[in-house]
Amino acid sequence: MGIVASIFMITGATLTMIGGIGVIRFRDLMSRVHAAAKAPTLGLMLVAVGAAIEIGTFDAAVALVLVVVLQLLTSPVATHVLARASYGQVDMALDGEDDLAAFLAARTESGSSDPDHDPDHDPDAPGAP
Amino acid sequence: MIVVPLLLLTVALAAFMFRVLRGPSIPDRVVALDGVLSVVVSGIIVAAARADSGITLSTVLVVSLVGFVGTVALGRFVERRGG
Repeated sequence: MGIVASIFMITGATLTMIGGIGVIRFRDLMSRVHAAAKAPTLGLMLVAVGAAIEIGTFDAAVALVLVVVLQLLTSPVATHVLARASYGQVDMALDGEDDLAAFLAARTESGSSDPDHDPDHDPDAPGAP
Repeated sequence: MIVVPLLLLTVALAAFMFRVLRGPSIPDRVVALDGVLSVVVSGIIVAAARADSGITLSTVLVVSLVGFVGTVALGRFVERRGG
């Protein structure tokens, strides 16, 4: 096993491990999302680079590039969906003002009564399929 | 030499599984499960490098897509049912 591939893979695995330690050590959900979403993604990229160097064929490199691109596209989306869904339902140790609560309150006052209501995509509107 | 990344990934897997088991809320478990999927993906890639063949790499695509769909579905579940 080559030196360069070893360095890439050990660095990537270490980053994944740091993410795991962060998930254990951090105290509230948003911090844990922070640790669990980003560190393993970079770790996966480095491990994939190391594996591509070690295997050395074009097919394996294409598959690894696909894996990395897919992970880069899906990981932030999934994490954002989860964090957005759990806002207001889980205790969060906020260390200041809750800006999102102020924003939602302002939007509720100025616009429609339902903050989740979107007039462009109303399924009950006449003419909707 | 290939044993070192596998050991590090084992430690990461233990950490994520600890959070999956302890919770305390459902979003915590889902976030940790996402991390477990990342570790599994990295582990399969390391195993492919160890075997020196890219024949198992298409399973990685499936695992990562299933992880994405599962996390989004559980996010919708949390939005409706609460943490």
